Amino acid sequence: MSGAVDDTPVLRVEDLSVEFRVRGAWWPAVRGLSFDVARNETLALVGESGCGKSITALSVMGLVPRPQGRVGSGRILFEGRDVAAMREAELERLRGDRMAMIFQEPMTSLNPVLSVGFQVSEALRVHRAIDAAAADAEALRLLEEVKIPSARRRFADYPHQFSGGMRQRVMIAMAIALKPALLLADEPTTALDVTIQAQVLGLLADLKSAQGMSMLFITHNLGVVAAIADRVAVMYAGEIVEIAPVARIFSGPVHPYTEALFRAIPRIDREEQSLDAIGGQVPPIDRMPPGCRFAPRCPARRPSCEASSQALVEVAPGHSVRCGVRAPAGARAA
Amino acid sequence: MIWYVAKRLLAAMPTLVAVLTVVFVIVRIIPGDPALTVLGDQATPQALAALREKLGIDKPLLAQYFDFITAALTGDLGRSLVSGRPVIQEVVAVLPHTLDLTISSLVLGTALGVPLGVWAALRRNRLADYVIRIVSLVGLSFPVFVSGIFLLMVFSLHYRLFPVIGTSNLADLGDRTWKLVLPTITLGLVMVAYITRVTRSAMLQVLSEDYVRTARAKGVPARLVIRRHALRNALIPVVTVVGLYLGINIGNSVLTEIVFNRPGLGKVIVTALNQRDYAMLQGLMVIYCFLIVVTNLLTDLAYGLIDPRVKQA
Amino acid sequence: MRILARLFQVFGTNKTSWVGLAMFVAICAMALLAPWIAGTDPLEQDIIAKLRPPSAEHWFGTDEFGRDVYARLVWGARISLSVSISAITLALVVGGTIGLVSGYVGGRFDMLVMQVMDILLSFPALILGLIIVALLGPSQANLIVAIALTALAPFARITRAPTLIVKERQFVEAGRALGFGHGRILFVHVLPNIVSEVLVMASLWMATAVRVEASLSFIGLGVRPPTPTWGGMIRDGFENILDAPWLCIYPGLAILALIFSLNMLGDGLRDATDPKLRGE
Repeated sequence: MSGAVDDTPVLRVEDLSVEFRVRGAWWPAVRGLSFDVARNETLALVGESGCGKSITALSVMGLVPRPQGRVGSGRILFEGRDVAAMREAELERLRGDRMAMIFQEPMTSLNPVLSVGFQVSEALRVHRAIDAAAADAEALRLLEEVKIPSARRRFADYPHQFSGGMRQRVMIAMAIALKPALLLADEPTTALDVTIQAQVLGLLADLKSAQGMSMLFITHNLGVVAAIADRVAVMYAGEIVEIAPVARIFSGPVHPYTEALFRAIPRIDREEQSLDAIGGQVPPIDRMPPGCRFAPRCPARRPSCEASSQALVEVAPGHSVRCGVRAPAGARAA
Repeated sequence: MIWYVAKRLLAAMPTLVAVLTVVFVIVRIIPGDPALTVLGDQATPQALAALREKLGIDKPLLAQYFDFITAALTGDLGRSLVSGRPVIQEVVAVLPHTLDLTISSLVLGTALGVPLGVWAALRRNRLADYVIRIVSLVGLSFPVFVSGIFLLMVFSLHYRLFPVIGTSNLADLGDRTWKLVLPTITLGLVMVAYITRVTRSAMLQVLSEDYVRTARAKGVPARLVIRRHALRNALIPVVTVVGLYLGINIGNSVLTEIVFNRPGLGKVIVTALNQRDYAMLQGLMVIYCFLIVVTNLLTDLAYGLIDPRVKQA
Repeated sequence: MRILARLFQVFGTNKTSWVGLAMFVAICAMALLAPWIAGTDPLEQDIIAKLRPPSAEHWFGTDEFGRDVYARLVWGARISLSVSISAITLALVVGGTIGLVSGYVGGRFDMLVMQVMDILLSFPALILGLIIVALLGPSQANLIVAIALTALAPFARITRAPTLIVKERQFVEAGRALGFGHGRILFVHVLPNIVSEVLVMASLWMATAVRVEASLSFIGLGVRPPTPTWGGMIRDGFENILDAPWLCIYPGLAILALIFSLNMLGDGLRDATDPKLRGE
């Protein structure tokens, strides 16, 4: 079926912890995080705001905000090379070329004083030795590819002259300019209205199949997950609590948190899943409970949950759960 | 762009009238008799009345206002009471000196202030940042006549590096530049201090913007991110402040010209003051209003160049 | 009392503002204690001991009339402080009232007033002061009025903004129902909101006021001699700059110290209170 080359994941995150400074001490916002993204695969990272999904993507890009944040430990292997250990100059060569990122806020993510055409062609100019005319021609082709109406006429326009949906298309054009092996999409559709959202998702799916790109897709919208993901990783308080193929997680979620997330019927037009059913809030970064981090909110909680931290246990091939009650260590489901 | 300039120019006219009106009201609202100020309390009633008539301040207030505005808009600023020459002539004769000084200090302020501000922002809360912040605060606490005198004492009197007298031959470019050095530094220091501080805070603001992160995510090298993506946006508030302090600069040039004994608007003002040349003073007032409106206009145009959003509006 | 508490809260967090405040208080103390610490009469001439360099007897030397520079410096602080404090107080009261009324009345009146304020603000303080004093003659009163005029606009802005907000709120209606007058409503609900902003603006604009007063005195438009003023001392000393540099150096440093202390105070307070204001 496949050769050895195709088996190496595009992205392999191993035991990653990303820390932030709060009142003089470093606290992990993400800890013990491990996952792979295979070639031409879309992995969705799902969870409430503040669970560490965006931080994860930023650390892959080497864009963890400094000096208040840092990668504490672990490896981020992108095409076999450890991004976390790279110098800034090496990272700059990778960013925008082999890996690219789309951000959540199309309204503020484009530079207001540079023309849209230039911003799209910039990555080409930076990474490829081509002249300005060739870069512009390619940028125009990209704008047409992401279906900007009358792209030629609008090439020299500025971001404020575009709508939110159009700006997000421009962001996508920028990100795919150099056909990256990995695209990190941080809630790319959250700020858009429903129809535009569906269009943008469709566009991303087309691009992925056309270019054989891998995607790390961050969202808290489960409708979007169903539409685009191959596999799903559910994050809570900086840890993966459940990871499984998309069909499996929709049909049989194991972790109580995943269950709660999925209790509300996922719909693409819902901005946020209601978590009222579980009550409570994600604990702040500097006041994490010692045992299972979800324990204080968990309906299936047992006294042992709060004593020790839980391990991620494989309950089925490709399906792992971090829960001492539903998936105790040593147990193995068929 | 041409449309934008034309629109701005048109919009500047009412502003000029408004500025003149405000100045007129201020001058007239505060009690006091200019004729008495000019001639002193020993003057005869006849002399006072004659002067009032000559200055046009014996007419009703509304007529005075009308005369003042028409005269200003037609460029007729009256004649000096002392030399009898038109005010505008006297001003035009010395204007190049003042413009030399103002523009060169602005260039100095921008050339030093912007990089220093960027540097401080990039080294936020490190030693360089603290030093730049304290030094710039000292810099803008110097009244220019004090810094001018200090510079004069050190570089002209003690080390004899620069001439004490600033009168220069406009046709001789070398001489003109040479004599501009110390006055420019004097006036420029304040500019450097202000521009450094504004650039620093604008950069800090801009560096945390989403589009800077986008640029980095594209793999744009750090230096280009700062120059192309951050600085261009940070310059927008800097332009505002430069525009505002260009006015202050015009005011400070008066002091600099006195300290360095340079010809210029400042010297004309002081001479008019000493000679109690009221007509001259009133004409100069209009000139300053005009300069301030022009400064504001230039600031607006600079916005148009930097910020594409401005032209649209 | 709420205002006092807010004051302490603002000061407590920022070292820069403390240093600035300490320097400013020291200079104020010097001005207040002038009769006791000046040593000699600042106006007393001594033709024999003229243009003496600094010594144990005359710490900062003597001027061309043999007057003690130290004594004149100490007394000169009074003029700088009284002119600038009066001017800023005047600007605060008049400007603040303009802002309150303008914001409360609203509509076209508000727009007109604010446009006039913008024009005043675009006028450099020194030029405006120069024009006014030049046309009306130099006197301490004219000086204060001129400087106050240049500082009207910022204070009008400060009081206008919260007035607009308060005006919209319910409790004004409630207050009116209880029979409170407009004045009382504004006084009680607007002032506590702007204490820190007023402090910042007052110290920064007082720095400007000191600068303008000194500059006008240097040009010869300040308080009349023989009253010692720092700007005037430099003006006189400038004529003897070759033989007696101390005549310019000490008053120059004094002016610098006062303006610097006020700028530090204002800057520190601004950083401590409102991060949004930074960079204005």
